[in-house]
Amino acid sequence: MSRYEEDLWIITRDNLVALMEVFIKTREVIAPVRGHGEEVIFYPIESIEDVAWDWQYVNAVLPPKRFFLPQTEVMFEYRYDNGYKITPRYDDRVRMIFGIRPCDVNALVFLDRFFGGGSLSKKSPDEEPLFPDSHYIKRRANTFIIAFGCHQPGENCFCVCCDGGPFLEEDYDLQLTSMNGDYAVEVGSARGLKIIYGNEHFFHMASSDEVKELERIKEDALNKFGDTCAYVSKAIRRVTEAKVDDSLWEKLAERCLDCGGCSYVCPTCCCYNIVDIPLSEKSGIRTRTWDSCAFAGFTRIAGGEILRSDKKDRLKRRFFHKLSYQYIEKNKRHGCVGCGRCITTCLGDINMPSVVEAIRKQKVTVQAAATLRHEEEI
Amino acid sequence: MKNNPYQPLNAEIVDIIDESALIKTFVVTPDETFRFRTGQFVELTLPGEGEAPFTPSSSPADTEKMEFTIMKAGSVTSLLHNCDKGQKVGIRGPFGNGYPLDDFAGKDVYIVGGGVGLAPIRSLFLSLLDRIKDFNSVVCRFGAKTPKDFIYKDSLFGPWQKLDGVDMKLTADEADSNWEYNVGLVTNILSEDDVDIKNAVVVVCGPPIMMKFVTFQLVEFGFPDSAIYLSMEKNMSCGIGKCGHCMIGKYYVCKDGPVFTYDQIKAYPNIWD
Repeated sequence: MSRYEEDLWIITRDNLVALMEVFIKTREVIAPVRGHGEEVIFYPIESIEDVAWDWQYVNAVLPPKRFFLPQTEVMFEYRYDNGYKITPRYDDRVRMIFGIRPCDVNALVFLDRFFGGGSLSKKSPDEEPLFPDSHYIKRRANTFIIAFGCHQPGENCFCVCCDGGPFLEEDYDLQLTSMNGDYAVEVGSARGLKIIYGNEHFFHMASSDEVKELERIKEDALNKFGDTCAYVSKAIRRVTEAKVDDSLWEKLAERCLDCGGCSYVCPTCCCYNIVDIPLSEKSGIRTRTWDSCAFAGFTRIAGGEILRSDKKDRLKRRFFHKLSYQYIEKNKRHGCVGCGRCITTCLGDINMPSVVEAIRKQKVTVQAAATLRHEEEI
Repeated sequence: MKNNPYQPLNAEIVDIIDESALIKTFVVTPDETFRFRTGQFVELTLPGEGEAPFTPSSSPADTEKMEFTIMKAGSVTSLLHNCDKGQKVGIRGPFGNGYPLDDFAGKDVYIVGGGVGLAPIRSLFLSLLDRIKDFNSVVCRFGAKTPKDFIYKDSLFGPWQKLDGVDMKLTADEADSNWEYNVGLVTNILSEDDVDIKNAVVVVCGPPIMMKFVTFQLVEFGFPDSAIYLSMEKNMSCGIGKCGHCMIGKYYVCKDGPVFTYDQIKAYPNIWD
């Protein structure tokens, strides 16, 4: 147990609602809400009435990454009169994410480390990051995380195979777990503890029975996830050692529509492009927008040549980046938290479990080994 | 926030030199002192159009001004070619590793360049000249499509031919009647006897197809993969190893490159594309 504080607290649902009403008045609260259909999305809420409660959803259809890395964000404003003046625009709103699931928290930790190095996460890398991303860090720094542990996997969840959930052991402020109509509250940070002490009348200490009950709930949950387990470690080894035959990527490429949906719904995908948009002859904005390695234009260079023009190579690239040990070493984990959104999104059934499964089942052929040798020879 | 890696520094284009039909050299003075190592690159902003990555072609020793030799190829470069002196620009960087000059000391430095690939090579060449005694020899083999396509004509056909400690050969794929140097691809003027292969480093910069065949030939000559330094061209956008466009295998070309030894990257697919 690596909670910030060993004590377990209990909050009733009514008290939680009352506490949230306080938060909504003092900061931007991002919470799961029902969209126009039945889907649940993360959205800034104005009233606690809007919230979709934990028993009403497994996870939001889109990860909350857009609140820290917006699909399009203004990084700079520029003016061009006699000189060139380019001024950064930051967003340092005080925020709370309520109802975020453990997989998405682990994805945020992944992004924190990638964009900010050790500054935002306890799992800091050994070395200071070369270029911390000021825009991401500002957005992320003032965010309080209230996570919800998962009792019940959704049909596409595989977090247990990816060290993504169903409960957090660190990297949260408060973790809530539904228990007998109330919520068990684990404290993951000093900020989290401050919230408890500052609102003590809403909380009470858990009894030793309740502590045991939470342990039982967590064990139960883990067992429920068992059947969905994919064999990620074998895929990691084969991708790392280049023992995946190209025919696998060729076959997958036949089904890939290069729509980029996989990257957009993936909570750890964060490739982007920087584009200047003139707003008048003398002024404009420099924006950052999501990009995807699935797009042909992703590797277009001056003159129009596309470096990775073959769809098969783009798929290979995508899964090398997600799974190879070369990147695990850099990012301290592989690039999937098991949220299952790529399963829901991809029309061609190209997703982490299906690719991992295909790699697992593929015999290491003489050809795969020969391809590697050939590449070494030329 | 201080030290935002995306924040460009103001600069001005103070001179423009025509090099060939599609290539110009832009002389740029930054508002503040801007230091770089030879082989590193910068992101140059043309206000209203955006950024593109370029390796300076001037010597890092010149801290007053920088030069960029730029071929008209894409959107930013086409508009740059329409600019006049006095144009305000932004520069951001320097990024990447550059050439490890100290590792070259005491060795034969074999430089193979083609077309606009001579731009980073000029910066390297000028840096080598500054401390020429540190190197056993500097051997240059440069090519271009036609004599007209050579950049830095005034230096190449003049003073650079007569430098002490420098062995220079030029070749054009197609010659005209006035051409007094070699004719053919640059691979035709490479010889196993140019340098002491056991004590040499090779720097290759040019169009991908040229780099590919030059590298293969060097390997055939017996150069170790770890002695072949390649300057990789990718679409570096952020310059800081985050945006993802320039990845080769486990490397970000912008952060871990743009200079790689062949042994670092040869196992990865599509490196020559």
